[in-house]
Amino acid sequence: MLRYLTRRLGQAVLVVAGVVILTFVIMRLVPGDPAVAYAGPRASPAELAAARARFGLDDSLPVQLWSYVRDLLGGDWGTSLHTRRPVRDDLFQAFPASLELVGAALVVAIVVGIPLGIAAARYKGKLPDLSIRISSMLAVSVPVFWLALALQTLFASGLGWFPVAGEYDANLDTTSPLHVYTNITAVDALFTGNWPILLSTLAHLVLPALVIAAYPAGVIAQMTRAALIEESSRDHARLERALGFGETAVLTRFALRPALNPVLSLIALVFAYSIVNGFLVEAVFNWPGLGRYAADSIRSLDTPSIAGVTLLVAILYVVANLAVDLVQGVIDPRVRSR
Amino acid sequence: MRWHKRLLAAGAVAVVALTSACGGGKVRGTEDSPQPGTSQSAADATFVYVPNLDVVTDWDPASSYSNEIIAMENVYESLTRYNPQTKKAEPRLATSWTSTPDGKQWTFTLRPGVTFHTGKPLDAAAAKASIERTMKVGQGAAYIWGAVDKIEAKDATTLVFTLKYPTALDLVASAGYASYIYDTTAATGDLAKWFNEGHDAGSGPYTIDSWQKGQETELTLKKFDGYWGGWSGAHYSKISYRVTPELTTAWQLLQRGEVSFVQRLNSQLFAQAAGTANVQTSQTPSFQNLLALFNTESGPLKDVKLRQAVQKAIDYDGLVAALKGAGVQASGLVPDGLLGFTPGQAPKQDLPGAEALLKEAGYGPGGKPLDLTLTYAQGDSDQEVLVTLLTSALDKLNVKLTAKPLQWTTQWDQGKSKDTSKRQDIFIMYWYPDYADAYSWFVNVFRSADPISFNLSYMKNDGIDKEIDKLPELTAIDKAGAEAAYADLQSKIIGQEAAVAVPYVQNYQRAFSKSVQGYVDNPAYPNVVFVYDLKPGA
Repeated sequence: MLRYLTRRLGQAVLVVAGVVILTFVIMRLVPGDPAVAYAGPRASPAELAAARARFGLDDSLPVQLWSYVRDLLGGDWGTSLHTRRPVRDDLFQAFPASLELVGAALVVAIVVGIPLGIAAARYKGKLPDLSIRISSMLAVSVPVFWLALALQTLFASGLGWFPVAGEYDANLDTTSPLHVYTNITAVDALFTGNWPILLSTLAHLVLPALVIAAYPAGVIAQMTRAALIEESSRDHARLERALGFGETAVLTRFALRPALNPVLSLIALVFAYSIVNGFLVEAVFNWPGLGRYAADSIRSLDTPSIAGVTLLVAILYVVANLAVDLVQGVIDPRVRSR
Repeated sequence: MRWHKRLLAAGAVAVVALTSACGGGKVRGTEDSPQPGTSQSAADATFVYVPNLDVVTDWDPASSYSNEIIAMENVYESLTRYNPQTKKAEPRLATSWTSTPDGKQWTFTLRPGVTFHTGKPLDAAAAKASIERTMKVGQGAAYIWGAVDKIEAKDATTLVFTLKYPTALDLVASAGYASYIYDTTAATGDLAKWFNEGHDAGSGPYTIDSWQKGQETELTLKKFDGYWGGWSGAHYSKISYRVTPELTTAWQLLQRGEVSFVQRLNSQLFAQAAGTANVQTSQTPSFQNLLALFNTESGPLKDVKLRQAVQKAIDYDGLVAALKGAGVQASGLVPDGLLGFTPGQAPKQDLPGAEALLKEAGYGPGGKPLDLTLTYAQGDSDQEVLVTLLTSALDKLNVKLTAKPLQWTTQWDQGKSKDTSKRQDIFIMYWYPDYADAYSWFVNVFRSADPISFNLSYMKNDGIDKEIDKLPELTAIDKAGAEAAYADLQSKIIGQEAAVAVPYVQNYQRAFSKSVQGYVDNPAYPNVVFVYDLKPGA
């Protein structure tokens, strides 16, 4: 197990190193002068020279790459050209908000997706199965941006059931200031007993979380259905039926546990995907997460910030993959020997 | 399943640990907030402004040169404020001013009894110190004080500027950037660092309440009780800046009455806003115009006839119609509201005229084909409309226009290229002045420059240069002479040299709540709402 773990960790480090180099190369290939982006469109030659010196843009590419890697290893992810703050600080502020949104979406996706998958497997080939398969196909294929606008227009602007945008009612900053520990507003509000902000955050979470949940819920439902059907056709299921257990009991009491293993792996991968998929949703619902930060960075050609977001997302993917591999390695010893 | 539980537990611990490292027990919200659960006493007097971009990049009033102007103008004050109706600077921190006949010495009388938010008095010595620091820092728009040779505080309310050359210093002092008067003694250590931690040292009606970079409500300002203008009558006591990049979302927030003012909507939403009961709209020409700069130095447009032909090919009326209110016809190079505006000069499309000029040069229908290149701002839908109309019009004249949308830095780099073969034939860009003086267009865009900065028509004309150099003095001491000089220069640059076409002047289209009373857009301060001047209604 230790050898397997070391090998997988080594591969993960190599992937991250590759992403770092690729990110750096892309940053330098992007046309335009980062010094202009930092100093402004009307900067004087002296201001541009100062900006170039500050970011080492006059150094050779290998020297710049070495400085970039050295700074990254030292925890310095560079300085954002548009916020003028350390990129790491910006990401630490934006990422928890995305984590909160995607976390809520995944809870919804699991709570909805797994029961739907079970129901579809239970009524395989019948009307419930057909409607669940069509719904999950729609949930997977509908563009999130469109879905976000549609839900916002209908349920927030039209019916007024939910807030239009934002993370929570900003007036609460005055009436119920929040003590921030994790930067995840709902968690901080819960642990500090700040019920007004907690309730407001939950209300603001509903629509964007539902939109982000659409894709993972659809995928989870489909995967759960497929895994349950496969599992319920195995020998042990025949024995359970022979012992007099009904079809629902066979599925939920015996087939569900082994069938959830691939679903769990899927959830880990879908988590990283949802972070990126949520960027457009964050833009529509004005959620102060990574998506808005990334959009601002792209708009202002802020290469250090774009690189920071890229690297963070790459690390998330690598960590999610690594976690899946390790879990599978523990569950199924055959994986370790591959 | 035990492994799953362990994994979930480990994940939860990791997430909490990771994010705990990011947080650290800070309070998010206002420093003097009431206890949780208490009600907000003046919620109805909060003005909620919706910008599309982050508000603050730089809090230092010396170097600030970005979107934060929308907050800074409510926190800081300048000696004067520009009035586009009278085309003159009006009193703000200075109650009056005089200049010597040669325009080289200016004496400002300061308003007595003004205090900074730090509690210290704003007198002539403090004003001198702040302008001198801005000049020393030398960043952003600090160059506006370039004419200043010496500043003297004669007494508590008298500030005397001695200039190296004549300049309209009352206009300079009204600038939206770099003209702020602030308390230079506010911090004991590094003042720039202190500012950028979210502190202010202004004298304006509002002071910083909370600043949370990256949050949706990025900034809140609260009223400064000691403001010299007082707080009698109805005023907003708070300003909240709620960053909303998505225009549809901004519109929905306004419709629902959750915000007071939306900085920008697209033409479709703006039309919708105009017909909505609880919303009012305002449309005001800005000081920002679009320029199509023709390459006078190299390439086919070196021939003035071809430049004039392209000028005539632009469908000015069609463009303004297609912009649906986002743009207004230009008349000359200087927008209305500034000294130098020349009414009655709105250009018209003249395709027969363009064809005749092309024929004279050997091109046009039946002649040699002509290929032209154009660069414009990527993602700017208004510029795209111009490009589409111009491409279509030129196509009828046997001219093929290759238009490239580029990021500004790329477009600018290409335009400045030392290798003239890499430059474009037509460069599209916006221009606006840093303070209410038309000189900005002429000295930056049309005066000879080496290396090239913004003179992207590459025009080199000694006679025009000399006329441009006389403008500051004329503006300072002879307004009528300045008007005549501006008219003459525009006639030469647009008419004789045909170095530029001005397709339109941008309009500011604002949508705001019916409850907001007294809003007037001042194009000298782009996107700024002077909230103290407003009255909160029902």
